[in-house]
Amino acid sequence: MSTSTLPDTRPAPAAFRGAVAAEWTKLFSVRTTWWTALAGLLLMAASAGQLAIYAANDNTNDDPTDDRGIVAVGSVLIDSVELTQYAVLALGLLAITAEFTSGTIRTTLQCTPSRGRVLLAKAVVAGTVTFALGLLLGGVGALIARPVLGEWGRAPAGDTIADIVALATYLALVSVLALGLGAALRSAVLTLTVLFATLMIVPLSLQEPDIAVLNRIADVFPGVAGTHFLAGDTEPYPGAVGLLLLAGWAGAALLLGRAALRRRDA
Amino acid sequence: MITLRGLTKRFGATVAVDALTVDVAPGRVTGFLGPNGAGKSTTMRMILGLDRPTAGQALIGGRAYRELRRPLHEVGALLDARAIHPARAGRAHLLAMARSNGIPARRVDEVLDTVGLDGRAAAKPGRTLSLGMGQRLGIAGALLGDPPVLMFDEPVNGLDPDGVRWVRQLMRSLADQGRTVFVSSHLMSEMQLTADQLVVIGRGRLLADAPIDDVIAGSAVAVRVRSPHPDGLATLATRLAATGATVEPAGPDELTVTGTTVDRVGDLAYELGVRLHELSPHGASLEQAFMELTADSVEYAGGPTGSGAR
Repeated sequence: MSTSTLPDTRPAPAAFRGAVAAEWTKLFSVRTTWWTALAGLLLMAASAGQLAIYAANDNTNDDPTDDRGIVAVGSVLIDSVELTQYAVLALGLLAITAEFTSGTIRTTLQCTPSRGRVLLAKAVVAGTVTFALGLLLGGVGALIARPVLGEWGRAPAGDTIADIVALATYLALVSVLALGLGAALRSAVLTLTVLFATLMIVPLSLQEPDIAVLNRIADVFPGVAGTHFLAGDTEPYPGAVGLLLLAGWAGAALLLGRAALRRRDA
Repeated sequence: MITLRGLTKRFGATVAVDALTVDVAPGRVTGFLGPNGAGKSTTMRMILGLDRPTAGQALIGGRAYRELRRPLHEVGALLDARAIHPARAGRAHLLAMARSNGIPARRVDEVLDTVGLDGRAAAKPGRTLSLGMGQRLGIAGALLGDPPVLMFDEPVNGLDPDGVRWVRQLMRSLADQGRTVFVSSHLMSEMQLTADQLVVIGRGRLLADAPIDDVIAGSAVAVRVRSPHPDGLATLATRLAATGATVEPAGPDELTVTGTTVDRVGDLAYELGVRLHELSPHGASLEQAFMELTADSVEYAGGPTGSGAR
């Protein structure tokens, strides 16, 4: 046997490239990926269209307190993401939970025994694909929102592109967060429930009574941090801090997922 | 070479694998036998680093599986033929495996050809594959990296007679090429046809690790003796019992003797001048040897021992 005497000298970067290539092949060999992307597109088109109609209507009805003035297309896109993200983060989520459901996680770990390497490869693929999808969604949303807003809208190219890139970054990080949580929780439904709670329900409940200390706690949650980042807020912290907070959540979820994969039997 | 040293796995209070120490050597087919829930699959999962041993270690060529960077070139394994994404085509499944280990795509077509899956079958999504096709796909995956060590968990499940014969020949040729071939099965007759060496476990414990001929030879052989002379037969029975053999009348002109050999019964009959119409060994099969070896371990089986159905 020639192979039996071959030393196991493959460098780590080559092993990582292999793992990324395998994840890429897996993602694009199931139709679910395309359905998910299509669902994201439809949700974005519907949300952006609807929110643009509301903004235009508010400005044209008889109640002067409703008047929002001229609305930036980017802000419509950012609001549309609140719903659209749940379709997009499914890409990160399913990349791991589908492996547990079908039992292919054992094949995956047979091919790449390093749990950290597997998870990082999945994060790179899910992050890259959702980032690209996010750019597409932002572009489509802008193309729909701009004409609907009509005279009440503005879309300076630089700002809109910056908003779209920020939106794509947000989606990529949220899908990595979903991936890490999925690796730890294993079940798609459970992971989605936890995500829904973390991104929306818990921070909303905290903000509801409008008590300063509770608001500060809510500000640390990933969804709220992401919103501050997208909106380019200066209060309660600069947008860049929001980005760092969200990235921290995604990184922590990956570490949690890696610990679970290492410790538990596959 | 697969090396198990005190390999142990506990699930809560249940001991699924109990201090297994075994060497699986290259160049021969080693059968891994045991009743359901004996710990075969758990052992194989630990060798592949999927399950974490509670104690002891499982090494391949002296290294733990989790340390391997190009594992498909070291070990090929078929664990569960059903483990394919329901929507992913068989070929894409293999392609992803190949890419993970830097194996060229043409190798995928080679192994598909080897296992007899044509382009149309390989393009079908996982959910439409029959168990037999799943087994072939799993075997193709095991062969991808041309590894020196191969493990198969119940590879003939769901295969038609042609497929069974093919798997048998494949195991043989892989072993003849100098590879380590470790095959689990609950089909004793199948092992008798394919294996050179047998590792038998029951309730996680090692019951036997020996060449298959020794396992069969070590089992109790019943000797059937038939004679037209009832008196002579009675004398023979008395003398046999005196030597420590167990004698049971099987009819008016027939005895079943255990705890001795055909040769010794024949010698004694000659000595006593008893005319015999039949003197034959019975039950010297792996099946019987297996039953005897595992008799104690299946008695208490039935609880969740963590194997098989996961």
